[in-house]
Amino acid sequence: MTVFLASIGFGLVTAAVLAIASVGFTLQFGVTDVLNLAYGAIMIAGAFIAYAVNQAGTSVWLGLVVAVAACSAGSVLLNSGVYAPFQRRGTSPITMVIVSLGMTLIIEFSVEAIAGGTGVSYTMGQGRTFHVGGLILSTLQLVIIALSLVTMAGVHSLLRYTRLGKAMRATAANKNLARNCGIRTGRVITITWALTGGLCGLAGVVFAMDSGSFDPTATDVFLVLILAAVFLGGPGQAYGAMLGAAVIGIATEVSAAFIHADYKYVVAFVVLLVMLGVRPTGLLGARA
Amino acid sequence: MKFRTLATVLAAAALAAAMSACGSSGSSSSTGTSTGKSSGPAGSTLTIADVAPFTGPDAALGPTYLATCYGATTAINSAGGVLGHKLACKTVDTRGDPADAVPAVRQLFATTSSLALVIGCTSDEAAAVVPIINSQKMAMFCMTGQSEFDHVVFPYFYRLVPPDLEESYAMVAIAQELHYKRIALAFGNDIGSQTFIQPAIGALKKAGITLTTNQTLDLKASTFRTEAEAIIQSHPDAIMTEALGNADPTLFAEIKQLNGGKMIPIVATSAAISPPFFKAAAAAVGASTFASDFRADNLVTESSGPAYQAFSTALLAEQGKVPGATGNFTTYLSAPGGVHLYDGINLAALAMIMSNSTSPSVYAPDMIKIGNGVPGATVVYSFAQGAAALKAGKTIRYEGPGGPTSFDSFHDSTGIFQVDTYSASGAVNVVGNLTADQLRALSG
Repeated sequence: MTVFLASIGFGLVTAAVLAIASVGFTLQFGVTDVLNLAYGAIMIAGAFIAYAVNQAGTSVWLGLVVAVAACSAGSVLLNSGVYAPFQRRGTSPITMVIVSLGMTLIIEFSVEAIAGGTGVSYTMGQGRTFHVGGLILSTLQLVIIALSLVTMAGVHSLLRYTRLGKAMRATAANKNLARNCGIRTGRVITITWALTGGLCGLAGVVFAMDSGSFDPTATDVFLVLILAAVFLGGPGQAYGAMLGAAVIGIATEVSAAFIHADYKYVVAFVVLLVMLGVRPTGLLGARA
Repeated sequence: MKFRTLATVLAAAALAAAMSACGSSGSSSSTGTSTGKSSGPAGSTLTIADVAPFTGPDAALGPTYLATCYGATTAINSAGGVLGHKLACKTVDTRGDPADAVPAVRQLFATTSSLALVIGCTSDEAAAVVPIINSQKMAMFCMTGQSEFDHVVFPYFYRLVPPDLEESYAMVAIAQELHYKRIALAFGNDIGSQTFIQPAIGALKKAGITLTTNQTLDLKASTFRTEAEAIIQSHPDAIMTEALGNADPTLFAEIKQLNGGKMIPIVATSAAISPPFFKAAAAAVGASTFASDFRADNLVTESSGPAYQAFSTALLAEQGKVPGATGNFTTYLSAPGGVHLYDGINLAALAMIMSNSTSPSVYAPDMIKIGNGVPGATVVYSFAQGAAALKAGKTIRYEGPGGPTSFDSFHDSTGIFQVDTYSASGAVNVVGNLTADQLRALSG
């Protein structure tokens, strides 16, 4: 029972990190139509940017801000320099996936060439550890959960209450119709790359904080978890991604506690496959 | 559009997973082009290839061997080289994955005419690359303890490190010496780490020590909180572990956090004796915390005397020059790969002089003669001494910082173990020795 409750707490932390990453990924995919598999590589690039700032003797939280800005700008450049030209030529979705895989390797190995292949850690403390009703969480983990909740609330407010959010939803639903309604979809897409790139940078830094030790390939498996959370919730659905992240995060940790750690990703993907079998559009996806 | 692409997306997910598994191979070189498998013309530079992970979870291994290669070859070149040839080192990144290692090694042979020796070939890739290297008739000193090499004859395969099962016994012997009654296992899911588990479980049983839990750590995972909590809940006196890359440091940090700020004592394999490992673990839990309750088995190596002096001089001269080397450089003086591959390179270089050939099929048998020695042989402690003695027409026995060599019919030469600890600065201290009797009592 103790391990079960503790694993729920651990699952919440994993879900918090996963939610930030998944929401950014799914918004990006929903609005831009690009399945950007380089997302994980940009995450780790952001983590190393924060590391460089941290190593310069400043707070990792300042590094987080720099990483968010850098990943935001980097994502806009990635789209305008790589993805958009391919899209303008009418490149097929599967080819775009291959392009993004290529970008993954380019970014990941560039980071590796610069930072080296070995693991690094931020210079920061975990803070006090709290034991509450079987949950065991450090101050840092509580901050990560809080950061995730604030981010989710921010995304909700953006999509629900702002003109930009409505324009993003309209563009995601039907780009041509949105354009015919006077929405400048090109600008919306550029802003979406900037916003989701920022979320990607944020996700990379909290991922690295949570991991304790990370290297340039650390997000390889995490990207697969992001995809699982996104498609469990329904591709392009921000709220679905939040829900998917919670399910995947908790399922992996609880299964590690009760079956065996070897099976934690197996269980997560069995959940995903069963879900897609029952409801192919995901938990919150529109019915076909 | 979204639903039509669902199949595409799932295929992409599979591709992403495959990509994470495969990565890509890469190699960088300092010398060598064109094809071939033996020496180049007189006066040319001979290549020693460091075939090991330079990226991926075991990325600390490649630079460790490279530091040794740089040190040994510089010392050999300073002493006049080998038969008119200078030696140089070449890196071949296996990424710790056979799928990457095989093409990288094939590329090595296709592009390096001056290749004279291979070092590295860790447990991550040895099973895949040793047959290839052997088929190319290239001598190799491998850093693998895999038991499949204990009784299979590969004529060009040489090993100065013990089988993994002996190292498992050594870890259990350390636990016995420290009067631990309850042990948790936490090993990485890579080939090199998994081979320790079954021998360790058997030895624990023989020693009357309770195995509290056996956790496998996915080296690609980013957290091990549940595994850490399961270990804590099993109340072990200590944890036996080998999980390189980020895994062990992350596990240690999470154990410390979940265990009220206290670490559980660690008994690790010799792979933990490396600067990058110490650096990552110290960053994760604090250097003094990590060093206070950490022990690792390690093959006995010398820490003084003429062989050690020559070795430390050669190695420390390379400080700041070795790509990928991080952390406290002096730790390389105790790193198992560092010491024993230095001996391997010297044995090969002396054998080349003795046989008057740089072709492995000619010089390799002489490595055994120089390592094991013959009655009346002059004992030499460095390449320079050995080369001078050979020039003077003497027979020699090389005894390097790794101690005396005794190759068996499978070209294995394993020594006895010592117990290492770290100081808070990352310096390695020897705090004890394990006898052959201790290990024998835990075997089979």
